[in-house]
Parts: sequence; C-alpha cells; structure tokens
Amino acid sequence: MLPKATRPWTREEAAHLVRRAGFGGSPVEIDRIHALGREAAVESLLNPDEADGAYPLPEWARMENAMKEARDRMEIVRQARRATNGMSAEEAEKVRRQKLQELQRKARMQEIEGGQWWFRRILTTRAPLREKMVIFWHDHFATSAQKVKQPALLLKQNELFREHAMGDFRELTKGIVRDPAMLLYLDGQNSSKTKPNENFAREVMELFTLGEGNYTEDDVHEAARAFTGYTLNRLTGSVTQVERRWDNGNKKIFGKTGKFDGNDVVDLIFQQPAAASYVPSKLWSYFVEDEAPPVIVKELAKSFAAGGFRIEPLLREIFLSAAFYDGTVMRNQIKSPIQYLVQMCRELEIPDLPAGYALQSQQQLGQVLFMPPNVAGWDWGRAWINTNTLLSRYNIAGVITTGAVNAPGVDGDSNEMMMDAGEGAGNGRMLARMVQRRMQDWKGPAYEKLAPRELREEPEKLVDALIARFFQADPGTKQRSTFIEYARSKKGVVFTNHEVAELCHLMMSTPHYQLA
Amino acid sequence: MVMKTRREFLKSTVLGASATWTVPLFIERTFADLHAGTKDLAVQAVTGKDDTILVVLQLAGGNDGLNTVVPYLDDAYHKARPRLAKKEKDLIRLADGVGLNSSMPFLGDLYGDGGLAVVRGVGYPNPNRSHFVSTSVWETGDPNAKSNTGWLGRYFDNACSGSDPTIGISLNKTQPEAFGAMKNPGVCLSTPELYRWIHGGGEQAEAERFFESLNAPDDAVDGASIAEPAVGRVGSIVGESNLEFLERVAMDARVSSKKILEVAAKHRTKVRYDGTPVSRSLNMVARMIAGKMPTRVYYVSHGGFDTHNGQINSHDRLLGQLDGALKSFFQDLREQGNADRVTVMTFSEFGRRVAENASSGTDHGKASCLFVAGAGVKGGLYGTQPSLTDLSQGDLKHSVDFRQVYATLLGDWLRTDPEAVLRGRYGKLGFMG
Repeated sequence: MLPKATRPWTREEAAHLVRRAGFGGSPVEIDRIHALGREAAVESLLNPDEADGAYPLPEWARMENAMKEARDRMEIVRQARRATNGMSAEEAEKVRRQKLQELQRKARMQEIEGGQWWFRRILTTRAPLREKMVIFWHDHFATSAQKVKQPALLLKQNELFREHAMGDFRELTKGIVRDPAMLLYLDGQNSSKTKPNENFAREVMELFTLGEGNYTEDDVHEAARAFTGYTLNRLTGSVTQVERRWDNGNKKIFGKTGKFDGNDVVDLIFQQPAAASYVPSKLWSYFVEDEAPPVIVKELAKSFAAGGFRIEPLLREIFLSAAFYDGTVMRNQIKSPIQYLVQMCRELEIPDLPAGYALQSQQQLGQVLFMPPNVAGWDWGRAWINTNTLLSRYNIAGVITTGAVNAPGVDGDSNEMMMDAGEGAGNGRMLARMVQRRMQDWKGPAYEKLAPRELREEPEKLVDALIARFFQADPGTKQRSTFIEYARSKKGVVFTNHEVAELCHLMMSTPHYQLA
Repeated sequence: MVMKTRREFLKSTVLGASATWTVPLFIERTFADLHAGTKDLAVQAVTGKDDTILVVLQLAGGNDGLNTVVPYLDDAYHKARPRLAKKEKDLIRLADGVGLNSSMPFLGDLYGDGGLAVVRGVGYPNPNRSHFVSTSVWETGDPNAKSNTGWLGRYFDNACSGSDPTIGISLNKTQPEAFGAMKNPGVCLSTPELYRWIHGGGEQAEAERFFESLNAPDDAVDGASIAEPAVGRVGSIVGESNLEFLERVAMDARVSSKKILEVAAKHRTKVRYDGTPVSRSLNMVARMIAGKMPTRVYYVSHGGFDTHNGQINSHDRLLGQLDGALKSFFQDLREQGNADRVTVMTFSEFGRRVAENASSGTDHGKASCLFVAGAGVKGGLYGTQPSLTDLSQGDLKHSVDFRQVYATLLGDWLRTDPEAVLRGRYGKLGFMG
C-alpha cells in the first residue's frame, strides 16, 4: 500500500481532487467536496449516485435501430443495383454513388451527434470520476470511428467502458475481445483459422495488458490462432465465435499448451507478472504525474494483483495517497483538450456549448472523442501543446467567454477531410455550417452571477475571485498583478459584462491556465 | 504588494518595453536571450534569409502514381484498368512510354525546361497499407514508424541549432510528424490571420501588451540544457517543468505569430492564385519567402487522394489543382527574384493498387512516383518504372527507397549530412543540379 496522506485536508487539496479525479468545478462544488473530508470525498467519487443509463442514447444508437439501419443500408444498395439494371456503367455508378453519399451523410451526422452526446455527459455528469475512467478506457482500448464507420457500435463500446469503468479489468478485457467496434477496428472480423490476423493478438499484449518486451513473437502468433472465428453478426450487432472459422488446435502460449480460445488467452495473460503493473502505471500517469515512479508502480502492482485486478480499490489507494497530494504534483499536469474544454465550462458554470462547437474545438486542439489517432491512443502531456494548439486554446477561450469579438475558429477548414475526402468520411463542411449558425446565438457565461456588481467595484477583489475560480491557487505574483493592472485599466464608469469577459479571456490566455 | 501604475508596470517588463522595437531586432534579441545556445553560433549561416528553401508538399490520401505518370505503352496497364487507363492522346509525353497526366500542363512545360525531376517506383520495405502508419513512415523516415522524431525535425535539431522556431513552418492545423524534434519542432499554423491571440474590445494593442507580459517566461531559459536530448515527439528539454515548457511554447507562439503576421501583411503579389486550399497555402508560403522569413522548410498539404470511388474525375481535378498552384507559386517566386532558392518535393503515403476496383476507383497500394521541382533541379526521369506484372499482392514493388530522395535533398539542397538526419546511409539520386 502507498503511504496515506495524513496532513489535514485543505481546500486546495479538495480542488486538486476535483480537477484530477474529475473535470474541475465551480467554487460551490469544491466547497461541497471539501466539506466532506478526504475519505468521504474520495468515496463519493468512487460511488456516484448516477445510474449508468442516466443519459439515454440517441435513438439511432439503440441496438435494434442501428441493426435495422444496417439492414436498410443493405436493402438500399440492393435496390440501387436493381434500379441500375440496363443503365450504362457510368450512369449506374452515378446512381450508386448518390445512394452511398446519402448513407455517408447520415453516418457523419451520427458521428457528430454521438460525440455531442458523450461530451454533454462528461460536462454535466454527477459521476465525474466514472466518465474520466471511460475516457481512460477509450484511450487505452483505442478505437476510431474513422475506421469502424458505424457510430452506434462506438456508443455500444462506450457503454461497455462505463459498465466496467471501475470494475474488474480482466472482465473488461474479455468484453473487448467480443466488442463489435474493436473487432472491426483491429480486423478480427477477417481472422479465420485459414488466415489468422495478428493485429488484435499483438495489440492485446503490447498495448492493452502487458507492454512491449513481456511476450514473444510466438506468443502473438499462437494467440492470433486462438482469437480466430470471432464474427460480428451485422444484423444482430453481437459477436460470436463461429466454430468453423475458429482454429481449435493446440496452441502454446506463455509456455502453456492447450486448445485455447480468446477467453483462455486473456486468463493466461493475467497470469503474467507484467499484467499487474502495466495498467496501474498508466493510471498513475493519467491521474497524477507524467512518469510513474517505479517504487509507486511496484506498490500499486501488489495491490492490483491482490485485489483481483479491480480498478476501484486501486483508485481509492491513489486518491488517498500522500504522493497524490505532493507539492510537485499539484497544478502540474497539462490539461488534455477534453479536460481543458470541460473544466473551463464547469468553472464558468456553462451547462452546454452550441451544437458542434465542442467537436470543432476538439479538432482544433487535437483530441476528438471517438477518433483517437491510432490503436495506441493519444499522446498525452506535453504532446498536446505546440504553438498552434496553444494559440487555439487561447482563442477558443475567447469564444467561450465571449471575451473576443471577432471570434476565430468558426471557419470551415478542409484539413479535417484530408485523409479520406475521397470516401467522404470527413465532417468538416457540415460541421462548419452548423457551428456558424449556432454561434450567432451564443450568449456566453452568466457574468452577473460569476462576478456580481459589488465585486466589480474593486479590481483586486474581482481578480482574486476569478483566480479562485480558474486557478484555485496562486498563479504567481506577476500574473496576479498583471490581471489587476488590466482590470484597473478597464475600469471606467461601469465594469460591464463584456469587460469581465475580456478579463476572463486574458486570465485563460496564459501558460498557467493550461495546467490542472 | 506595492502596486505600480499601469505605465510603470508596462515599462518595467522586458516585453512591455520591447513593443516599440522593430520586430526583427526584437525577435533576435529575445531568442538570443532565451536560447543561450545561440550565443556561440553564427546564427545567420543556417537561416533561410538568403539560403535554400525546401517546400514539402504532401498529397494526402495516397496518390495514384500510375495515373499521374503513366506507362501508357504497357499492355498490362490497360488490362488492369479497363475504365481508368489513360490513353496516349490524353497524356503529355515525357519519354517513350512515359506520359504525364494532362491535367498538369505546367509541370509538363517545367519538365521540358529541365526543372522537373520525376522519381519513379519510390517506396519502403514491408509496406503498410494504413494511411496513418504509412504516413508515419514517410514522416519519421523510419519504416517501422517507431521513431518519435520526424526527418525534418531531426534536420532542424542537427543542422539548425540556435535558430528560432520559424525554421520550419507547417501550413496545417496540426504539427506534421515530420517536424517532431528533440529541440526545435518548428511552428504550425493553418491561417496566418488566425495564428495570433485575438482579443475583444477596442483597445487591442493595449490588451496585447498585457498578453505579451503574461506569455513571457520570467527568466531566460537556461541555454546549457538545450543541447541535451529530450523525450517524446515534442520539443521539450530535459529537466524543464511543465510550466517552463508551456512558457517556452507560449513565447514561441507569440513571437512567431507577430513575425508571421507582419510578414504576411507586407508582401502583395500580382500573380493570381486559384481559390483552392493548396493554392492559398502556397501563396502564403510565397509571401513568407518574400518577407524574408528565416524558414528553411515549409510543409503544405493537398488532400483528397484517397480515390476508392469514381476516381477519373476527382483524381484529374486534384492533379490540376496541384499544377495550378505550383504554376502560380513559381511565377510568384520568379517575380520576387527567389526562384533559385526554392525546391518543391511532393510525397504521398502510398500509391494505389495496379488493378482498378469495382467502383471505378483504386484501393490502397504501395510504391508510387513523386516530383521534385525547381530551378535547382536537374530535370529528368529517376528510378525505374516498377513492373506491372511482377507485383507484391497486386501492388508495385519499389525500386527507390524514399530515404534516397530525402538524402539527395538534405545533402545536395539543404547541404547537411544526410546520415545524421536519416540515421543511415542512402544513395543519393543526383536530381539536384
């Protein structure tokens, strides 16, 4: 066990917990968590009072609807083929393409809606740690809509992550073996005993459970045979192991021989020592600091194995540990784009963003939900930041706070469509139009509430209140005095909402604000 | 705390006071102060102010090399592509049996004038048909796509130490993997007009002064550590805290933004550019070159080459856009007097399957051709046309390793040691004059 935090529980520590085990919050929310005390605060995060199904899925994502749609799609293609009988090859191609474009437009719209559904949930949930774990699993078992192309399957996978968010990691891994989106993403669909595909077998060891160097090429090769035969029934949306496609022969994996199937391989993997340390190390990096110290990983690995690979006790140990509240850890994590957007909205007490804007911001900042760049997930930490993404962060803050008048970023850009414009999978233009329409009505945060009139009389008090809201700590003498100077320079006869917005925007346009 | 008046406060901060300096001086002073590593170096020697410039032009999505540079006399070509094959009359003849897609009349003329090298059969060992993996291979210069730096980033690190971040500029929203570097990853921007801090209200200049102060590190970055290698795909420095890292990027962003905006506003060309994204990007590059940016590498993307369906019209149109953009770009450079300084290299993550598919398109393939264009180029055909019958899973086998192209450009154009950048020795192809 890691040594527990024994110092008295401070409000700064409560704010740290709210940021890291969730997505930050308003001053009232931090007060509430602080009042609970350390242990009860952590328990409240581990046992949220919000049902998994609290947010109903979009209609099209309900499995029966999605499967009906898959059948309709096949029917449309069939009809197009019939309708084009007797046409010249070129005419037929035109009709076919038209039909396909309609279907693609629908899928793009679903992609946008699906991302919006999850973003809203992350923004408004009363179970922030659970959603933070769902993001962790989405990154860990990275699967992209870019390849899967059926948004409903990604939402199904999202529900799998939520169900097991803090549960048994072994069970989740077995769930992933039979997950339709993952099956399509890592080509399991095409893996049969005559032609085993090693993609999934390799990643399950390298990226999901053990890490490189903890298995041999033969293990991958043999495991690939065990993973054959898993097939997605596109009409029912479920994955089954089809006997005649499965290699039922003997396999030798990690020195053991048997007629293993996918589940057996997962069990064998979890007998490897590396399985106990791989995920705890990643969790520490995700919640605490960029590089997990070996001594800490060693302790966590013991607990993880002893606890039957359950995540919840591990999280409890992390959030109660002294190391989690260390001075070098607090306010020293670079916010991911999702963290940046959600935390800003929570601090500004904004319940939602205009349709499409969250997605457009994610694209500009380099983290789009349901679109990790590859099977290894996103690069975290400093990789989020370059000169362009940093300026984009500042300018997105300008849009959301309404501190910038001619807000940028509502432009349509063709770059998004770069990779697959030929297949029309990009949603750039559609999204740009949507955002343009909706942003015209964007009123921004309720500044009367965030910065009451009486507070505006004294620039210092105003700045300190906003510092408490946005930084929950001292951002540095130079920063504070610059904010105050700015507020003074703005203070005319009245300090209008627009001027408060400009001040908020300035405060967020700083390196400090990028840290959680 | 003793509060100063605003004026005193502004005067007291380095950057507040510096706002009245001329931009270039301001920038050089700032960088010299912040990156102490520059102190002992003759910075000018490696800047692009009057040195050679490379423009890397990505054809994203996998360009169909076979319909770009066409082996029109080969029966196997026509047999494999009954609907897509180009006939001799539809082509610009480059040599016997080698025809250029006629959507590219400018490149055809350039070839005739000896300013276009066509490198055929370019690829890499154990090709990968994933867009992402294969792009990564080309960008990192590592066929295993495991390197965490890019080939251009390693060039910046190896050959341009002490230079400012505008040594490499990508006209994309996200940083290309090719720019991944230990020390200096260049900068990226999609639109110069948006590559700046945008504030509200009527007193932009004043707000900007506060912004500048907040986005300047308190102390000069310790130059001694700059020579240390660092981790990851980002330009971080060993021992730097996250806050120090953010402050440094913030400064790079602010300074480069200022410089780029100024330069972009300065130069106006009489040359007409099309409205396509690739034309607009190259127009931007031309403006930055005219404005004497010290940039040595520009990176531009032209997307849409993933032509699985109904390829004929879309592919020709994309090549036509490329041709039009390059035509305006080179004319602009000539009028500026900078034509001799610039070489353009195109690349794409892979070529496409030899046989057309059922949707009158082509699927992901392997080896392909690429162009190197410019006044410094020794025009002609390089590499050999891969066989259309001796295939690898339906795809062309490569005869030229892509790193040979890089080695040629690094050694004979950017004039640096290719081996240090490419981590290996690759035979040069001789297309630079």
